Amino acid sequence: MKTLWAEMSAAVEKQKKLTDSIIIKMARTNYTNKLNKIKVPETISTFVAFAAALLIIINFQKLNTWYLAVSGAAAALILLVLPILSLQSIKKMQSVNIAGSNYKQALEKYAKGKLQFVSVQKSSFYLGAILMLVVLPVEMKLIDGRDIFKGSALWFSYVIGYPFYYLFFKWVFRKYTGIINDAENILKELEN
Amino acid sequence: MPDKNQFVTIIKEHQGLIYKVTRLYTNSKEDAEDLYQDIVYQLWKSLDTFRNESKISTWIYRIALNASITHLKKEKRKGNYFAVTEDLLNKEDSKDSVQEERFDILYTHLKKLNEVEKGIIFLYLEGKSYDEIAAITGFTASNVGTRLSRIKQKISAEIKK
Repeated sequence: MKTLWAEMSAAVEKQKKLTDSIIIKMARTNYTNKLNKIKVPETISTFVAFAAALLIIINFQKLNTWYLAVSGAAAALILLVLPILSLQSIKKMQSVNIAGSNYKQALEKYAKGKLQFVSVQKSSFYLGAILMLVVLPVEMKLIDGRDIFKGSALWFSYVIGYPFYYLFFKWVFRKYTGIINDAENILKELEN
Repeated sequence: MPDKNQFVTIIKEHQGLIYKVTRLYTNSKEDAEDLYQDIVYQLWKSLDTFRNESKISTWIYRIALNASITHLKKEKRKGNYFAVTEDLLNKEDSKDSVQEERFDILYTHLKKLNEVEKGIIFLYLEGKSYDEIAAITGFTASNVGTRLSRIKQKISAEIKK
């Protein structure tokens, strides 16, 4: 196996194709894209969530029944907490110190970060389910002045919407099980 | 800001190493290109922090392997990376198709290993001593030895299948 690897290494060495400009372009292009990739979607979604929360807080006095007030408070709180949770978990995922860690430390941090990311994602889904429940009547009251708790449309939308949300939950959580197993196996392997 | 000329020289000298890591840790050409650029970017970003306490190659191995781990966490990127020249990441320039096939088989077996094993066997195949592997990975030299014999057994069993 070592001989074969040496043969392959020799073939790779012959290949040398990088030019000065390609190397510099790679380093610089990556730098710009990396910043944009992290910043743009996160900033937009955080801005939208905070704007929605602000809208609810500013118009809170319009939520003139106890159940609308409770729904409004819950929606505003979730809209403020969700982006923070998401940003924190992404930050944690990216916190592996590539230059300053050895392979073992990097793997350990990566596996733990993955586990934490999954648990935050799961919490976000539960919070998302609550948000779906409370945000609709609050928005309808603020935009249209209607208390849709009094009609049947709201309950009808819950009946239609939640089975889909539940199926989506199941599909996503099945994916997470694989990620959790991978991360736990790495941590176990590091202990051996 | 790293010295541009020094950086270019380092990358040119070690491009083979980076290529081998990217091929080991990815399963598609697009992903390999992403990882290759990620490693170059990480090296560029970290060059100023390199102190001559270790060999430059040890430092590059460490960053390339660590970047490969974090790369696994990322969602597949959709073409927002600079496209590396067309055949930069094509397979080795081997005119011998039998040899090429043997390289493929070797990589296939290595890719079946878990991330811990992959890193250790890669460094071993690169001719690193137990002490050097220990310095790059953070395991003790004796632990590297134990793990290596387990990995070799695992690969042998896999080949016999």
